[in-house]
Amino acid sequence: MEILSFEETKKLLAKYKIPHCETEIFNFSDKALVFAKKIGFPVVLKIHSRTIFHKSEIGGVKANIQNEEEFMKAWNQINENTKGRNIEGILVQEMLSGKEIAMGMKKDEQFGPVLMFGLGGIFIEVLKDVSFRIAPIDKAEAIKMIKEIKGYKILEGYRTGEDVNVSKIADILVNLSKMSMKEEYIIGMDLNPVIVNKDYAKLADFRIII
Amino acid sequence: MSILKTFDNIFDPKTVAIVGASEEKGTVGFGLASNLIKGSKKRNIYFVNPFDKEIFGEQAYDKVTDIKGKIDLVVIAVPAKIVLQIVKDCISKKVGGVIIVSSGFGELGEDGKKKENEIVKLLRTAKIPLIGPNCLGVLNSRVDFNASFAPISPLKGNIAFLSQSGALLNSLMDTMNAQGLGFSKLVSYGNEADLDLSDFLLYLKDDKDTKVICLYIEGIKDGHKFMEIAKEVTLKKPILVIKSGRSSAGQKAAATHTGSIAGDYQVYETAFKQSGVVLVETLEDLFDSAKALVMQPRCTNGIGIVTNGGGAGVLTVDYCDIEGVVLPEINEEDIKKIDKRGVLNSIPVKRNPLDLIGDALPDRYCAGINAFLAQEKIQGLIVIETTQIMTEPLENAKIIIEMKKKYPKKPIVCCFLGGDLVVEATKLLEKNDIPNYSELRRAVRAIKNLIKNEHE
Repeated sequence: MEILSFEETKKLLAKYKIPHCETEIFNFSDKALVFAKKIGFPVVLKIHSRTIFHKSEIGGVKANIQNEEEFMKAWNQINENTKGRNIEGILVQEMLSGKEIAMGMKKDEQFGPVLMFGLGGIFIEVLKDVSFRIAPIDKAEAIKMIKEIKGYKILEGYRTGEDVNVSKIADILVNLSKMSMKEEYIIGMDLNPVIVNKDYAKLADFRIII
Repeated sequence: MSILKTFDNIFDPKTVAIVGASEEKGTVGFGLASNLIKGSKKRNIYFVNPFDKEIFGEQAYDKVTDIKGKIDLVVIAVPAKIVLQIVKDCISKKVGGVIIVSSGFGELGEDGKKKENEIVKLLRTAKIPLIGPNCLGVLNSRVDFNASFAPISPLKGNIAFLSQSGALLNSLMDTMNAQGLGFSKLVSYGNEADLDLSDFLLYLKDDKDTKVICLYIEGIKDGHKFMEIAKEVTLKKPILVIKSGRSSAGQKAAATHTGSIAGDYQVYETAFKQSGVVLVETLEDLFDSAKALVMQPRCTNGIGIVTNGGGAGVLTVDYCDIEGVVLPEINEEDIKKIDKRGVLNSIPVKRNPLDLIGDALPDRYCAGINAFLAQEKIQGLIVIETTQIMTEPLENAKIIIEMKKKYPKKPIVCCFLGGDLVVEATKLLEKNDIPNYSELRRAVRAIKNLIKNEHE
């Protein structure tokens, strides 16, 4: 069991038309900085490793980096924190704003790929407010799956008035279903968070397990 | 051979051989033999046991191959180590089907699994279907066929039960008998080495005697096959399931975060929901729902409550809320339109739930039930009776039976709360296919499972 490499993950997401934040992998800070400037601050730095499953716990993630100075400081710190570990490189990612949701897949021995949907953060960790479907699913089923969670009102903009694009979330779920059915070597996926707003739904953190 | 023909051999064989039949009380071979000879006299039963000359006054054969003529079904109840030889005899005899009751196969681990696979391979090559091994057997009550070693015979009825556990099945039969509920077919499918749960479901889909299918499941072998077939079956008749193994769910180390949240039980729950199968939590729920489904038609969500006790009515409203049972609003106008004689004029509040008040006599029940069932928005009814000094349970029961005839498409479930005072009335209700429950919440759950879900 290991995590799919960054390049292969990106290729796979492109193949199944699954949108994600602007992101590239780097081993040297100069090129990474050029990319950060190109996509514009603030950015996020995080390691990608085939073997490290909990990257923030070892200090492998720095978010909300506002400028060049903060960037260099974060870069060096991540390198320091992960010294001696087997990492593929450091990802530079754009910061997206919107609501956080989570998606996932686990392959069940009897039923094959099982898809999961929920709100991100404490909703999934503590309250386990999630819904499941056995793949394959179509868009109508994906929408039912989204509406099934107790926290759906939050996505509809309860008290804030800001709703999100449910259709785009459903598209991702349908494409994950296709990918899970076709790419049989994938045994699990954690896409958490996926950032959603009125206009789009994009993966901000993804991990495909093979 | 078509699946139907295959199952005809298993569920209604003309000739049956029991290998391991015995006169010794308390043995599996005795149970099988005595249950089979108690059945239809049209069926030819052969006993195979090389250690006996005669069993129950009939000739005992040394081997299956010694029997003259065609054999539709062979039931094998001998120690695991000699099953393979018996199976080979069955193949050379070209029998129609085989049930292996014996344990000592796949359930024991790798070695047992190997033995099981060898048997399955031989039987499949010979195109002979197999039930088991490690099972209780099968029953088909309509044709008085009991190829099991169950200690009792079930009543005839319209509930089919497929169970991974044989022991549970025995107790269920006893419980159902006590409640006067009958079975159409019973299958203890054991290790499902050849015919599996889904095969039986597919057969029961078109079985005229079966109105409701109940399942007890520990695990499913082929999840996608089950879902595909269950989706098809639930379009025709309801499937109720009780699944064990909830507590261990999610405790194993999982590959992903998703994996740790999606425990086995959740996966099964999801699969059942997606294929229209109703998951119940307790055996009581299973009986209660099966009883309702076998006695009453199904409906859409919109239930009325008629009661002579305010408290009981409010409790029922609470339970409906928990269970997702919708209670449409009914107002005074709605009721006046139907209750032209004004029988209900004396009750102060006319709404859903309709409280007929404690002093309600049968005429008020009659008017109230009629006024509710006549409403288009009311699809089914819960009738509650508490026992007051003036209450007439038996008369109320008769009224409910009459009302049921007037509105045959709308299900009625009852909760006559009480003991000795209501027993005669509830017996009458159930004799007329109106289910009664001794507790309000049970009645609500039963009607909930009569409500069709969006899949249907």
